[in-house]
Amino acid sequence: MDAGTISIILFAAMLGLLASGLWVAPALLTVGFIALEFFSPAPAGSLLATTVWDASWNWALTALPLFVWMGEILFRTRLSSDMFNGLAPWLSRLPGGLFHVNIVGCGVMAAVAGSSAVTCATVGRMSIPELKKRGYDEALSIGTLAGSGTLGLLIPPSIMLIVYGVIAQQSISRMFIAGVLPGIMLIGIFMGYVMIRTTLDPSLAPRETERTTLRQKLWASRLLIPVMLLIFVVIGSIYGGFATPTEAATVGVIGALVLAWWSKSLNRASFMESLMGAVRTSCMIAFILGGAAFLSIAMGFTGVPRVLAGYVDSFDLSPTMLLVVLTVLYIFLGCFLDGVSMMVLTAAVVLPMVKDAGIDLVWFGIFTVIVVEMAQITPPVGFNLFVLQGMTGRDILQVTRAAMPFFFLMLLGIVVITAIPELVLWPVQWMVAAR
Amino acid sequence: MTPVRRVLDTLYLWSGYVAAVFLVAIAATIIAQIVGRFLGVAVDSTETAGFSMAAATFLGLAHTFKQGAHIRVSLLVGLAKGRVRQALELWSVGFGAAGMAYFSYWAIDLVYYSYVFHEISPGLLAIPFWIPRLAMAVGSAILTIALADEFVRIARGAVPSYEANAETVLAGPGDD
Repeated sequence: MDAGTISIILFAAMLGLLASGLWVAPALLTVGFIALEFFSPAPAGSLLATTVWDASWNWALTALPLFVWMGEILFRTRLSSDMFNGLAPWLSRLPGGLFHVNIVGCGVMAAVAGSSAVTCATVGRMSIPELKKRGYDEALSIGTLAGSGTLGLLIPPSIMLIVYGVIAQQSISRMFIAGVLPGIMLIGIFMGYVMIRTTLDPSLAPRETERTTLRQKLWASRLLIPVMLLIFVVIGSIYGGFATPTEAATVGVIGALVLAWWSKSLNRASFMESLMGAVRTSCMIAFILGGAAFLSIAMGFTGVPRVLAGYVDSFDLSPTMLLVVLTVLYIFLGCFLDGVSMMVLTAAVVLPMVKDAGIDLVWFGIFTVIVVEMAQITPPVGFNLFVLQGMTGRDILQVTRAAMPFFFLMLLGIVVITAIPELVLWPVQWMVAAR
Repeated sequence: MTPVRRVLDTLYLWSGYVAAVFLVAIAATIIAQIVGRFLGVAVDSTETAGFSMAAATFLGLAHTFKQGAHIRVSLLVGLAKGRVRQALELWSVGFGAAGMAYFSYWAIDLVYYSYVFHEISPGLLAIPFWIPRLAMAVGSAILTIALADEFVRIARGAVPSYEANAETVLAGPGDD
């Protein structure tokens, strides 16, 4: 049987299994099994056990549960409820006022929570009622949340970047460093957009007149500043080459425990909740990665990726066209799949193609994560849209319309990093050169 | 609650707790490594952290499943109602149970042969491989049991526990 037919059969099997409601990891394992058992001479069973085992004790992966745990601890402190009050005094005097709290709040929460839906929900719960009370435009308020909520995927310590680093065999330190500037850039683009919109149409946001002293500002953000410092130390120690991501994550966990204790939100119950939450999240992701490792070995045996890459090659796409095609593909997949599954499912086929096209794999990781972010706010199934729909009680159309400008702003972000790849790559080169 | 129910639920929960202990163990071995570096003692945590990672993953599988934290595409399943829904859930859980049974068989086979052939980990510690691999065999076997258990429950008309226990996105720490 030729590789084309095999790939169609495997694709159909994957689609059928996923659509029927089977969990993602078992679905990956099953398709891998079909590929080996029926389309290759290799022994499926023993390869299954050894491949999944090898993937599961991967050193690079050990940073994952620790970063998840750190987020779970910080998430259970008063930080989330203090976010609004802590940021508002600093940002209220910018044009657009408290809209910026949504954006920066999501940026900070993103670094902590690591999940865009949780980020969106946590910040939104505080800020939506508050902004409405003060007469801010509702659509722009929902839009800023929808857009900025996805920053969690990009801003380190991002779980998504760890997952990408593991599947693409790129250094996780480098992925984190590469994510910093594009993350700041997206925050900048969002804030710039809000400033322009509110300057053109002042009715969108009331003018904040309340003045606060520096002392009051500092007091309002007494929990926020230590958390930001902790994140800074974690990322800084990786950047400076003092620590591996796993070591930095361990420091992060200890720091988070100290902060939780200091803010009096650490007790037996919250400790256990955070730990078990971390077990579940990291177990879910690691299981999917095990399944993906087996699938990609199995695909290798069938020769499908090589043939598919050759097929795509025959179109003679320029790298830019390839990226456009992949953007459309990911946004389409984002209608059915969450970010991790999307990345993992396509890796076996997409990564060799991208490598062949001469695209840097670190850069491509950042690109993919931004596209996945966009997919989170694309209808009919964008996860953040559902969250906001549930929270505001508006219908999905209104929420989608509010989020649309931010979809295009992220597209702009992608255009910028494509035009200036140095934004992603320079910090990585500096880091390497400094060692 | 019947005794069988209680025993099974305890099994899932406690394997989850053991997974949590291994997650803490990752941090503990890393701390040992950092402290060792300051004291000038070479502590290599690559193996211990990696093995703890694997154990935390596999032993946590059943607990994660029961709590509804494993990801699936719920688009079509969510549209189905009544009998059709029940049939779809039975298919997912039943197929999953069969698949994991197969996986467990080969995981046990791997443990057995690494024991027979005295396979040893490549790092400084030279741990016999069958010990950490045991976690994979045990964890996947417990997940197989959990899936089979769930099959019986759904067939009897119960709401799947991975649905009943799932955290909704909006339920934060304060409001449950």
